[in-house]
Amino acid sequence: MPLTVKVDLELCQGHSVCLSECPAVFDVVEHDDGYPQVVVLQETPDDALRDQVLAAARYCPNHVITVVED
Amino acid sequence: MSEAATADLKAPPKVSGEKPGVGHMEEFGVNFARFLMRCNAECGELAEYNMGGQQTVLMSGPDAQEAFFKTLDSKLSRAAAYQAMVPVFGEGVIFDAPPDRMKTQLKIQVDALRYQNMKAYASVIAQEVQDWVAEWGDEGEMDFLDEFIQLTLNTACHCLLGADFRYKMTDEFKSLYHDLERGLQAIAFVDPYLQQPIFEARDKARARLQELISGIIAERRANKDTVYGDALETFMSGTYADGSYLSDNEVTGLVIATMFAGHHTSSGTAAWTAVELARNPKATEEVLAEVNALYANGGELTMETLRDLPLLERFIEEVLRIHPPLVLLMRRVIEDVEYKGTLIEAGKTVAISTYGSHRNTDYFPDPEVFDLHRAKPDTLWAYIPFGGGPHKCAGNAFALMQLKSIFAALLPRYEFELVDPPQSYVDDLSAMVLKPGSPCRLRYRRRK
Repeated sequence: MPLTVKVDLELCQGHSVCLSECPAVFDVVEHDDGYPQVVVLQETPDDALRDQVLAAARYCPNHVITVVED
Repeated sequence: MSEAATADLKAPPKVSGEKPGVGHMEEFGVNFARFLMRCNAECGELAEYNMGGQQTVLMSGPDAQEAFFKTLDSKLSRAAAYQAMVPVFGEGVIFDAPPDRMKTQLKIQVDALRYQNMKAYASVIAQEVQDWVAEWGDEGEMDFLDEFIQLTLNTACHCLLGADFRYKMTDEFKSLYHDLERGLQAIAFVDPYLQQPIFEARDKARARLQELISGIIAERRANKDTVYGDALETFMSGTYADGSYLSDNEVTGLVIATMFAGHHTSSGTAAWTAVELARNPKATEEVLAEVNALYANGGELTMETLRDLPLLERFIEEVLRIHPPLVLLMRRVIEDVEYKGTLIEAGKTVAISTYGSHRNTDYFPDPEVFDLHRAKPDTLWAYIPFGGGPHKCAGNAFALMQLKSIFAALLPRYEFELVDPPQSYVDDLSAMVLKPGSPCRLRYRRRK
């Protein structure tokens, strides 16, 4: 089953837990002002990354990440 | 909330019982959490009350709370609502900084809560708890609010300012911190610059604290190769867009701001968690089984293992629902805003009550009952112990990690019992942060 990754940038404060859990899918980039924020590198990551992606979503302190399994 | 465009808008309904001159201040002062629940019950989603001339609109329910959290800072200002913090944090720090500098300072504060730091904090906290428990003996009785105030002051200093400072922490430091806290009594929210002994003491304490912290900063600048892994290191290395570092004043301000955000909120919640564990033995058994399973599998208390204690986390979340440390959140209205056909004019204050929201029976049936297995609401905007939206408390993961670390260490070692009748443990709202009333006595006994 393919995964689709969505993020809510209104809630992201750049804690970077996702980047630590799954750097293949998530990056965190600095902005000129305000918090750094997540960037999704692959919106439909390979199934091999499933556990890492789910861990990133589960442990995100602000519950920014939603993973939809079609 | 959108900008007010037409003249057809209603005014928010007004709460009854206003008195000449003081408005609702007296009733607010008796028990503001209950007062705000009365406002909501009487007027609904929007309820306007009067705090000695400052018209304040309480926004209740998930829709209104979502609007409160999501409306831009330029329209609903935190800085304007929290000016009482300025003399405590310092000039030019956070709520006194221009918007772009404030954003950078808050970003640097969050940098100190990133993954690598959190791992270091987790081991610091585990160590602090172990040292604390080592002196307990087989059984005893303590005031757990006092105990947790001391423990979380130790962990906060250790994580923020490093081991060196923590283990040399002097009575002077404690007394300075105490003077800063006393500078935040209700009168500070009317005018924090009045000629008052408590404000003079506050200003002296702020200046002296900066001397102390400047001393550490100077020492560290002279030892550039040492890695500390604490928040001070992050604050000292953060830069503004032009590449300049934070001044000693700003670093000191961030240290103080972080202490104020995290210390009493954590000590009050820890004390309430201990009371609720003693008061709810069945739920405690379930949590204990989860913690024991962690140790049985050879687990230690690290950031990773602490993340996977869902029942303990649920327990703490239920404590935070019933006893949210920050009851009242505020913003000042800078530009007229409209909410569902009602105009909220510039100059007013808008407020939300976490305490009231957590007792909304649409989302939390039997709200006064402690229920470990309570269903989570299907909206993000009803359960709001850490606020929400772009300005949600950035320390939420730190707070949960610290609380889990404390109780994952305590529960397998000791059982807890109330000393006083269960109903005598009630919320104390006399300070800015909710906590259990004094005394908060519990008996503990080593588990067999």
